[in-house]
Amino acid sequence: MSDLPNKDKKYSNDPHPSSKSNITHARFFDGFLGTLASIFKDKGVLLMLVIAPIIYGFFYPWPYRSEVVKEIPVGVVDYDRSELSKTITRYSDASPNLSVQPYASEQQALNAMYQDEIAGYLIIPSHLESDVYANKPAHVSVLGNNSYFLLNKQIQMGFTTAIGTVSAGVEIKRDVAKGAYFNNAEAGTQSVPLRIDPLFNRSEGYGAYVVPAVAILILQQTLLMGTALLIGTWYEKKQQNATILGWLGRILALGTVTFGMACFYYGWVFSFQNYPRGHNMLGSLLFMALYTPTVATLGCFLGMWFKERERSMQILIFSSLPMFFLSGYPWPVTQLPEPLQYVRWIFPSTSGMNASVQLNQMGASLTNVSSYIIHILALWAIAFILLNWIQYRQIKRQYHGR
Amino acid sequence: MSQSQGSHNPTSSRQKPSIVFGDKDNRQSSLISVFLRSARYEGRFLLHNSWDYVMLLWLPLLTILGTWWIFSKPYIVDVPIGVIDDSKSSYSRTLTRFLDTSPDLKVEQIFQNSADAQAAILDQQVYAVVIIPHDFSEQLNKGKPAPVVLKVNAQYGTHSGIVQKGVQTVVGTLSAGAEMKRLVKQGAHSEQAKVSYSPIGIERISLFNIGANYQQFLASTVIPALLHILAMVIGATTIGREIRDKTFSIWYHTMIYPDMPYPDFKTLKHVPPEQKLAALHANLHPSWQMPVDYQSLKQQTYRKDNQLTTTAFSLKDANYRYRLNLNKSAKPRMPTKVSILALVVGLNGKLIWALLFYMLWGGLMVMLAVTVHPASLTAMLMVFVAFVALMMVSLWLGAIFTLTSYSLRMGLSSTGFVSAPSFAFAGVTFPLMAMSEGAQRWANALPLTHYLKVHLSQLQMLAPTSVALPTLIGLIIAVAVTLVIAALLCLRAFKNPQRWGAR
Repeated sequence: MSDLPNKDKKYSNDPHPSSKSNITHARFFDGFLGTLASIFKDKGVLLMLVIAPIIYGFFYPWPYRSEVVKEIPVGVVDYDRSELSKTITRYSDASPNLSVQPYASEQQALNAMYQDEIAGYLIIPSHLESDVYANKPAHVSVLGNNSYFLLNKQIQMGFTTAIGTVSAGVEIKRDVAKGAYFNNAEAGTQSVPLRIDPLFNRSEGYGAYVVPAVAILILQQTLLMGTALLIGTWYEKKQQNATILGWLGRILALGTVTFGMACFYYGWVFSFQNYPRGHNMLGSLLFMALYTPTVATLGCFLGMWFKERERSMQILIFSSLPMFFLSGYPWPVTQLPEPLQYVRWIFPSTSGMNASVQLNQMGASLTNVSSYIIHILALWAIAFILLNWIQYRQIKRQYHGR
Repeated sequence: MSQSQGSHNPTSSRQKPSIVFGDKDNRQSSLISVFLRSARYEGRFLLHNSWDYVMLLWLPLLTILGTWWIFSKPYIVDVPIGVIDDSKSSYSRTLTRFLDTSPDLKVEQIFQNSADAQAAILDQQVYAVVIIPHDFSEQLNKGKPAPVVLKVNAQYGTHSGIVQKGVQTVVGTLSAGAEMKRLVKQGAHSEQAKVSYSPIGIERISLFNIGANYQQFLASTVIPALLHILAMVIGATTIGREIRDKTFSIWYHTMIYPDMPYPDFKTLKHVPPEQKLAALHANLHPSWQMPVDYQSLKQQTYRKDNQLTTTAFSLKDANYRYRLNLNKSAKPRMPTKVSILALVVGLNGKLIWALLFYMLWGGLMVMLAVTVHPASLTAMLMVFVAFVALMMVSLWLGAIFTLTSYSLRMGLSSTGFVSAPSFAFAGVTFPLMAMSEGAQRWANALPLTHYLKVHLSQLQMLAPTSVALPTLIGLIIAVAVTLVIAALLCLRAFKNPQRWGAR
């Protein structure tokens, strides 16, 4: 309480003047080995740096195992009940994308959509068949739930292909009836056919798209939190201070552990999930060897700033999603407001995710990602200066008894 | 009542507290007062601990506005692509021009050869290359198919999707034009040609989010996901730090004894966690450290019962029981009885600030969502109630995670493990129905999945409220269940004080 000022001092962080520069790690190898030992002795740090990335290696790709959405339940509202409408329904159901259920009315189909039973439906108007054979304009409607972009895209594609096939069949029949050769007629249905050739992620799987980038984010976040957790714990025990060489040793030790985890992702997780990978393995590893110490340095700075064991987790757990969206990977950079296009460079993940994907998944060379490498090196330098500055400031404060 | 707590040697007393349900004798104050005292306790803490305050005010505010800002250009336009024009004809130039005028695409560069194009893709200057073959115009003039190839970087899934849609539309238009030209040449009327080239037209309608607005699709669903993570962290921290600092029973005592002074959080702020309890005991207000006048106690008992009694120390007054326990050690002073009703009310009081703040954020979130896509007042109300329920479940879940492990760090780890990827499991970006059965089961165990169902059906699909009502009721039931579990785990924590203080 306020009437006990001496107790205030006793429990504050101020050390005795004699301990003003209690340097724990003075030499490089002290820092390196001491940190390695601490990582494996401290259950909390070990969980963050080693166990969590391993568990996430299984857990995060889990929802995306099937990769491509197949057999999406959709509805067909057939007001025509003709041979043609039945053919359309049959072709739609045969599409690998779709699994068709009949509904008697549009309202019923809409209700089913509200209940999440179907993701879209097709309306076949009455007189479709008669209109088509009378050469009158005729059309069907595909209504997809665009609250779910991926589902809607697949539905539109599935129905369009199925109906296109039926339509082409009608056209060929018509042309042949007019006396055209069958082959010519078939060729004429599409003047400029488009062949889409997906590069790198050839199956266009969702997991293969998301997980390789998120994996780098997972490594960054676990390393940041684990490092800040360790340094925060040291701060509480007044063991946080080190010389520049000592800090370099610490950073190398922390970076090495996560580098090992990166090898686990590059070498095992991606191949277990059968994602495209390993196109520039050497480049990937070299980049990772720069990336992990940078993240570790930032983690050290955060640990010195937060000063408490659990604080880093409290503050950082939520940050992955914003970092992901700012990286330019899932959301085009040009779409970001201009100030955010600068803000995104605060996070190492911006370069980490893009460079890793370009090197490992796309097979780019180090020159292709040189700007990202420069960013990471610059970020490391800034973080290291910040780290030494915050330690200097803290020691000075303690020395002046504040 | 106590057997040994009021013993002659109070410092040695260490028995397990008995659990009572709504025992008024054990509480010195009404439940309302318990609630208010618990809230004031936490309020005083927040005033002096800026990081915890940041979690309530600045971080969520920054998160909401930041996320909204990220998606403030909500329609993806002008994705850079390249063209390899081997045909160099008027047809190919038309196609290139069409591609460039498409809102989805921007023709960034015309490449001379595929090596240049490949390098540009690896450099991420372009996300796709359209290859127009050298015989493009001849084939078209002959009425033969002239295929165009789109090489697209499918590793960047969002970009790739937009590019494919854009190029497909452009090529489709060009194709239809060429087709109709051919039919007209063959002598058909242009109107007739239109019908003839495609006997069954397709009208593609995207319901609910018509123009593929990403602010509506992603930002409005990511914000509750982020607030859910933050709320779980707050739940874990608020209870977890009392367990870590072994001050859990101090909190309990403070809220149930109306005359116990609140801890001095300003001083405590600078005390390392392990020393907090001892500091608290030492800094307890002098009136609470005054040795109890046993003589007067005896007299009181004598007067009340109107006869002499030997059980002078079987104190009915819990305040005295507490004061007798004069150890200034790092061992927590335990309550002899813990009232579950007081705990339930006290937990709510402790987390009331978080709830009030996050209700504010929920309101802001709904307001932002309806600026993009208007919804009825009932729908907004439904979503708001569901959001408040989600926040309460998140707070209790956070508390549950720390209380099961007795460790704030483990609580936060589990919180992160469950909440951070919960958006990936929620079925917005990758559909629930495409997940494996196990993953679906996990997704359905997450409260966020259910909240987002209400959110999407009400704010985007404008579905009737009856659709979301069962989910809403489910969420409210989850609030009650998680609250009871959290309170029960608090009781367990009172039975195992030796496990407090885990880091």
